[in-house]
Amino acid sequence: MMILLPQFLLALFATLGFAVIFRVPVNKIPICVVVGACGWIAYLVSDYFLDSPVVGCFLGACLVGLLSIIAAYIFKDAATVFIIPGILCLVPGAKIFYTMEAFLKNDLSQMGTIGLQTLLMAGAIAMGLLVIGAITRVVRSLIKKTVTLKDKF
Amino acid sequence: MDQKYKKDVLILAIKAGKIMMKSGAEIYRVEDTISRICKACGIDYVNVFATPTGIFVSIDSDGSDDTVTYIKRIKSNETDLSRISKVNQFSREFTTTDMTVEEGMKLLDEIEGRRKYPFWMRVLAAAVVTSCFSVIFGGGAIDFGVAFVTGMLCYTLSRFLEKYEINFFIRGFICTALAAFCALLAAASVEGAMYAPVITGCIMLFVPGVAITNSIRDFLSGDMLSGLARMTEAALIGISLAAGAGVVIKFWTMMGGITL
Repeated sequence: MMILLPQFLLALFATLGFAVIFRVPVNKIPICVVVGACGWIAYLVSDYFLDSPVVGCFLGACLVGLLSIIAAYIFKDAATVFIIPGILCLVPGAKIFYTMEAFLKNDLSQMGTIGLQTLLMAGAIAMGLLVIGAITRVVRSLIKKTVTLKDKF
Repeated sequence: MDQKYKKDVLILAIKAGKIMMKSGAEIYRVEDTISRICKACGIDYVNVFATPTGIFVSIDSDGSDDTVTYIKRIKSNETDLSRISKVNQFSREFTTTDMTVEEGMKLLDEIEGRRKYPFWMRVLAAAVVTSCFSVIFGGGAIDFGVAFVTGMLCYTLSRFLEKYEINFFIRGFICTALAAFCALLAAASVEGAMYAPVITGCIMLFVPGVAITNSIRDFLSGDMLSGLARMTEAALIGISLAAGAGVVIKFWTMMGGITL
């Protein structure tokens, strides 16, 4: 728990930086920042317990997507505003670097391993967002249907 | 409904779409905004086809002979989430209240002209991003400082190159090359400084998060073309970042600076 606190703060500030670079409206920055930091913590925790950064990325992306959609619903704004700064912590920038380093060392098997992991992590982020997006679509259409049914009776 | 009015509505709608697309919105949102604005003005036939590089809109209404079509090419883009948010609000307002087209145009001009955060603030933000990530990826206090300065330099260089419309691939390459150079220089001259966390921190600054997110959201709403285009963009950016840092590190090792 105590190890997670500094990580949480670091992710918080990193997301704050992204939020300013991508010009998130001032009143939405606090929410953005919390979404991003929560996503990073979800990644760390699931990486620790499941020992797989790919699953970690998936769960982190799911959490970011879910929180963003909830925030978008509450604050009546586009979900993208929360998702883009939030997801950036999860993008495997470090893996890109290590892939390249392995390539420079001429260690092709290592490069293949890390490179594949990079691709899988990026894919996992995509999957996470996709799953959440699909679920919200279903939920939204269900809500719409129940509302129209209520109107009929 | 006269031709002039139709044209005005079309220009307004396409301007809203252009601002959104340039700021990094998904295809679905852009198409939806354009057709909503047109429908709110009483035009019943609206067809929009948007891609990250251009928007095509065709409108028509009952009883007139001519269809009005407009093609808008979109060139440079720069992520600006507050603009997306503002245009989103604008389209909601425009469709629910009886705002005139001229008023709408004025509002959009205002949205397009506003600058949210001053340049120095964004440079500082970039520095915070790189330094935080360098610590997350195993750096110490010295690396924090080095990454802070490097982040500032890289972001400034990136903005400078963007002004001269250098394409994103070369921009990523040059920026990470600079980051790698600064990091290696610091590692060589300062005791206890590492180069890996600093370079990683700088790579995180240019990582294609927007492209990945948007490509997924485009796929989800069935815009395969834009989804693929953005996916390719993300992959190219990733490769260019790795290549930029790699070339500098390779040269440095060849000159005997470090051993990998």
